[in-house]
Amino acid sequence: MMARARRGLREELRLYLVAVTSLSVAFLCVGGALLATTNLSAVAERWGESGRMSIYLRDGARAEDVAQLRMVLEGLPEVGSVESLSSEDARGLFLEHSEVSSDLASLPAEVFPPSLEVAIAEGTPIQRVDAISDRVGRFRAVSDVETYRSFFDRLGSLVSAGTNLALVLGLLVALCVFAVIGNTIRLAVARRRSEIEVMKLCGATDNFVRGPFVLEGTFQGAMSAVLAVLALGVLFSTVRSSIDASLAELMGTRAVFLDAWMLVALIAAGAIAGAAGSALSLRRYLTV
Amino acid sequence: MVRPFAFFRAGARADSRAAQRPILVFDGVFKYFREDQPTLKDVYLEVERGEFAFITGPSGAGKSTLLQLVYRKHTVDQGRILFCGRDIARLTDKSIPFLRRNLGIVFQDFKVIPHWTVFENVAIALEILAMPRRLVRSRVAEALERVGLAGRGQERTESLSGGEQQRVAVARAIVTEPALILADEPTGNLDPHLAIDILTLFEEINDTGTTVLFATHDHSLIASRDHRIVSIDEGRVIEARTGLRSWHGAVGGPGVAAVG
Repeated sequence: MMARARRGLREELRLYLVAVTSLSVAFLCVGGALLATTNLSAVAERWGESGRMSIYLRDGARAEDVAQLRMVLEGLPEVGSVESLSSEDARGLFLEHSEVSSDLASLPAEVFPPSLEVAIAEGTPIQRVDAISDRVGRFRAVSDVETYRSFFDRLGSLVSAGTNLALVLGLLVALCVFAVIGNTIRLAVARRRSEIEVMKLCGATDNFVRGPFVLEGTFQGAMSAVLAVLALGVLFSTVRSSIDASLAELMGTRAVFLDAWMLVALIAAGAIAGAAGSALSLRRYLTV
Repeated sequence: MVRPFAFFRAGARADSRAAQRPILVFDGVFKYFREDQPTLKDVYLEVERGEFAFITGPSGAGKSTLLQLVYRKHTVDQGRILFCGRDIARLTDKSIPFLRRNLGIVFQDFKVIPHWTVFENVAIALEILAMPRRLVRSRVAEALERVGLAGRGQERTESLSGGEQQRVAVARAIVTEPALILADEPTGNLDPHLAIDILTLFEEINDTGTTVLFATHDHSLIASRDHRIVSIDEGRVIEARTGLRSWHGAVGGPGVAAVG
C-alpha cells in the first residue's frame, strides 16, 4: 500500500505541490486565527487576574486616619502594594502621561485629590476586589474608590468579541480547508479513475483501492499543516520583536505562540481532514 | 492447474462436485436497462469447463451485457447465473471482488494503465491477492512469456503498439490462473492480422484448460476457427452451435435451432 501511495505521489507530484501550497495558505489562515485567539485569551486572562484600585482621600483627611487605612490595606492578603500619591504627585503624573496642552498645565494641584494607589495581587477574583472596595469606602478619610471595573469590563467584552470572531473565522477557514482538500483529491482521483477501474475489475476490494489514496490525502493534509505552522512560526518571530515591547506596555502581556499541543492538534487535523477528504472523494469511483 | 485463491469470499471451501458441473449457466436470465425493452430476454446457456465459445451478434445485441452480468458489473433482473455452481446474482457487494479474482477479463480498449510499466500492469492482479513479491515476479515473468512479451516488463505500456498492449491485458487476465476468461471484443481495435494473433493467444490459453468466452462481431474471425458459437440477437440467444460447420449451417438456414 505504501509503495502504491508513493507511486501516486510521484506521478501526481505537480498536482500535489499545487494542492499542498493552497492548503498551506488555508492552514496558515487557521493558524493565524488560532494565534489571534490564543493571544486575545492571554490578554483576557491577564486582565481578569490583575487589578488596580485608586482610593481618593477627602480634602483635609487626618494623617492618622490615612495611616490606619494604609495599615488595614497592607494587612490584606489580596493587596500587593500600597503607594501614597499627593495632589502634587497626581498632577505631575497627569501632565506627564496625558500630553495635554499648556492651558491645562496651569491647573492647580488642589484639582487632583490625594490618593492611595493599591496594586491587587494576581489571581484575585473580581468579587473580592469589590468587597475590599466596599469596606474601604466606609473609612472616614475616603472620598471615593475607583476599581476601574467598568473599564476592564468593556475591555474584557472587547477581547471576548475578538476571540469569538477569531473562532468563527477559524471555523470558516476549517470548512474551506476541508472543501479544498476534498476537491484536490477528487481531481487526483478523477485523473486516476482508470487505475481504480482496472483494480476493481481485477478483484480489488474497496479498502485495497482506498488505502493508498487515503495515505496520500493524509500526507497532503499533514504536510500542508506542517508548512503552515513553519510559515506562521517565521512570521511570528519576525514581527514579535517589534510588537512585544508595545504590547507589554499597553496590555501587560507578551505575544505568545501556539503551544505544542495546539501545533500537534493542527497537524493532526490536517492529516485527518486529508484522509477523510480522500475517502469521501473516492466513493463515486468505487462502483465499477 | 493451481488456483490457490479463495472462491467468492475468503475462507470458502472448494466444492469437489463443482468439477462435474458446467462452469457457467445462464438460467432464464432477463436484463432490462429500459422497462419496455429488455437487453437480454430469457437467456438459457451452459458453458462447459475448458470450452472455447464465441459470443457473437450485431452491435447492441447484448454480447457485452451478457459478459458484464458474469463479472457483476450489472445484476440480473430475472433468472440466475451460476458460476461454478454459485448464483452470481445473489452475491453481496463485498463478495464481488472475490468473484472477479476467479475471472480474467479482457476488453476492446485494453484497459491497461499507460504510464505504468508492463510489469506493473500485470503484477497488480497478483498484488490484489497479497502474493509475496518474489512469487509475483516469477508469475508475471511466466505470464509475459506466454503472451510473447518476455523480457519487456520494464517498458512503459504507452510505448507499446496496440497489439502488444492487448497482450499485456491478456497477461494480466491469465496471471492469476482464473477459471474463466471473459474477452469482450478483444480484437475490436486491432487490424485483422493482429486479431488472429490475439485469437491464437486465447486458444493457447484455452489449451491449458481455461474456459474462454470470446465476444466478437467479426465474422471473418469466427469463420476462421471451429469453436462453439453463441449468437445473440435483440437480447435472445437464438442459436448455440458447436463448430464452424454449424455456424455456416445456421447462417445458411437449415439446421437452426433456437435455444433461448
